Amino acid sequence: MDKVALELKNVSFTYPGAEVPVLQEVSFSLKKGDFVAVIGSNGSGKSTLCKCFNGLIPHYYTGDFEGEVMLLGESAEGKSVSELSRHIGYVYQDFENQLVRPTVMDDVCFTPLNYGLLDYRERGMRALELTGLHGMGREFIWQLSGGQKHLLALAGALAMDPDILVIDEPVAQLDPQHARQIYDILRRLNEQHGKTVVVIEHHAEFIAEYCRTVVLMDAGRLRWQKPVREALSSVDELLSLSIYPPDVTRAAWLLQPDRQTAAVYPLSSEEGQRCFTRRLSLSDIQETLAQPQIKDLHSTPSEVKPVVEMEHIRLSYRTIHKTLHPVLNGISLELFSGERVALIGNNGAGKSSLMKLIAGITAPTGGTVKVKGITVNGLPPERLAGIASYVFQNPEDMFIDDSVRGEIAYYLKARGLKDKDERVEAMLEAFRLQELAGRDARLLSGGQQRRVSLAIGAAVRPVVMLLDEPTANLDISTKQEMTRVLQALRGHVETVVIATHDMALVAEWASRIIVMSEGRILADGNKEEIFSDGQLLRRAGLAETQLMEMSRLLELPQICCSLEEFVARSEWRKEELVHGGSR
Amino acid sequence: MVEAVKRALNRISVEQIKLELLGTAYNSSSTFLGRLDPRMLLIWYLFFAVTPWFVYNRTILLGMFVFMVVTTVLSRVSPYIVFILCLGLVSQIGWMFLLSLFFGGGAESLLPMLTLTLKLSVISLASITVFSSLDPERLSDGLSALGVPDAFAFSLSYGYRILPTLLEEFHQILLSFRLRGQRPLKHGFLYMRTAAYYLRILVLVFYPLMLNTAKRSRTTVEALETRGYTYAVNNPQVKKLRLSYLVMQRRDWLFAAFSAVYVGLLFPLGTVFPNLIY
Repeated sequence: MDKVALELKNVSFTYPGAEVPVLQEVSFSLKKGDFVAVIGSNGSGKSTLCKCFNGLIPHYYTGDFEGEVMLLGESAEGKSVSELSRHIGYVYQDFENQLVRPTVMDDVCFTPLNYGLLDYRERGMRALELTGLHGMGREFIWQLSGGQKHLLALAGALAMDPDILVIDEPVAQLDPQHARQIYDILRRLNEQHGKTVVVIEHHAEFIAEYCRTVVLMDAGRLRWQKPVREALSSVDELLSLSIYPPDVTRAAWLLQPDRQTAAVYPLSSEEGQRCFTRRLSLSDIQETLAQPQIKDLHSTPSEVKPVVEMEHIRLSYRTIHKTLHPVLNGISLELFSGERVALIGNNGAGKSSLMKLIAGITAPTGGTVKVKGITVNGLPPERLAGIASYVFQNPEDMFIDDSVRGEIAYYLKARGLKDKDERVEAMLEAFRLQELAGRDARLLSGGQQRRVSLAIGAAVRPVVMLLDEPTANLDISTKQEMTRVLQALRGHVETVVIATHDMALVAEWASRIIVMSEGRILADGNKEEIFSDGQLLRRAGLAETQLMEMSRLLELPQICCSLEEFVARSEWRKEELVHGGSR
Repeated sequence: MVEAVKRALNRISVEQIKLELLGTAYNSSSTFLGRLDPRMLLIWYLFFAVTPWFVYNRTILLGMFVFMVVTTVLSRVSPYIVFILCLGLVSQIGWMFLLSLFFGGGAESLLPMLTLTLKLSVISLASITVFSSLDPERLSDGLSALGVPDAFAFSLSYGYRILPTLLEEFHQILLSFRLRGQRPLKHGFLYMRTAAYYLRILVLVFYPLMLNTAKRSRTTVEALETRGYTYAVNNPQVKKLRLSYLVMQRRDWLFAAFSAVYVGLLFPLGTVFPNLIY
């Protein structure tokens, strides 16, 4: 257990042409069998650190490299990436681009075959077994779902039976269920097969549940390496770097009267249950205050004409086996002006398809869709452009011009609108893009790209705006920012619809929630109605946020959606401090 | 007429093109020719792609043509491709005939053109037979076994692997152009304006597509490094292992022998009856 798998000694690295080093005198040792999370804000050098492990730095990225890397007790100096990669499996954040062969079996065997290992087929089979992909060997890559592709990328790394696995943001592109599945597999690999696992991760709740050690990177330096509980309890330090510890931990930190720096806080809801208690006196008052306010938000006068009307919508598409696959099974729905609608459900529930119908991108196989009284079915997308605007999940798919300003202006220019310059300026300001206006949107960071895509959608001044997974691939602090950006949409758009599995976003933002599963609507209501039914979310393949779970466990009168609300309604139980370091 | 075109266009979706294309590309191991050794097929192809250029004997060409028709049928080529081929040949002959009429030629000018057509058909049919019988993987391995540089063989197979991704992205970007663009309000004479609008965005789509692809390939190239690709390229042992599944079997020898005998008989036959058809 205490053997060192990998060691970095005073490693510094500067990318060619860059002024500031990305890594500065990093010393780090990775114990065999450990499960490590690397955290840090964007650009702090997390990926760069991990690329030192297998020699991508300095062999592939040549730059100023100093220091020494020791792999399994041997110096890595003079060894090529290929040699080092025998012991280290690397799964990229954009894992799809690391699958280079047409079929699952070919891809999983690719690495061992490249190393000329005679048993490459057996290795491939074993790796597929470990990741739960057995029996899919003959499938083509493009037929797999996102989750399966990620598992395949992992299997491709496992086929070499490496000692160390590095996974860059394993759950960024997955829905909560698949995220958990990936982590369960990683845990099994770690505990039963003795693999050393390193993840770059933003989601503190996953770190708390699965990892043992946390490494904090800050501006190219390794600030510390601590056991997970100690690490995540450094709440103020993490917050100052825009890293958000689990909600329970933050709540505990907020409620702790004498915020001692050395204290350790609860990390999970179960632990939280023992530490918090319902606040009796104050909450009653607040409750009466809060209730009518919420009521107001939801009241939709029945005489108002709906913005979107869907009647008995059916949609199916043809599969490769020439059979029809139903996606939506008879959906009837009305959306009103002023609503903030969240469509939730796991992958494949039909959320995106439903939104594409409203935007006129696809035509239903049966039923009618009306937006503002116009029947949409099969209208060319150009015709509907000013009424419904659809923001793709991948912002890059929306970038068709060479500058941010050009992107936003494209629609306005195509229509030859007179006030286009003012509108572009207004959008740049609303989404804080003035400084980026001249840059190519493809080269911006994830959060900036997302803001641009929203500005493109809003510039149209549509009646309905449809957003597909607006918080996917974003780190938590950018996510928090997104919630604010979404508020900026309010003045420009009548109705906003978001498809997401990000429950925290739903909890903070939505006024109406529609739960979908297998092409049907399971439930439709406001936050309280949906979140108080714990079973419902599970049936739809979704996970509660920690705050929701805590509210339920503490039997609070109402499900809390924000940290402030939770802190106002609960109290720290003094006698129950958390003891013990590691879990 | 316009309505019919519209309806036909509506039925073609990007998804469908993707399925059709990949189905044709990868679904070949079920035919007789698809099970043959790729190296043998490639050499076979090389012969039928080159010799017709040097043969002017119409009997021999006709004999080859018949053989090619049989192999094309055997490889169960999709009727679309055959249709496109016929269209190409007919239009080729058509405009050359028109041109010869213009310069004072007559029906007699058709005959020499028929010889050329015969040559072209043999070559085209041979190409169709071979390339629809070899899926990209076997083609790539076959080329690699015949000494083509590995990097080329690999990029060939990778090109096919990435094709569906590119198609999907193409579709998305095209949609972005349409969602934010403005179709001409009037179709114009013979739908010219609408056609011009679509052609214009079809061309424009390629720019973002290329930029996105360039961005994506950064990870791919890096990942190839971590997955031992360079090691494999510099190691002849690995190539041997990878291609060890290529074995000449009985049916390969039989097919090669039959082709050799058939062509071997054609030549004397052609010399004896040079004007069997015309």
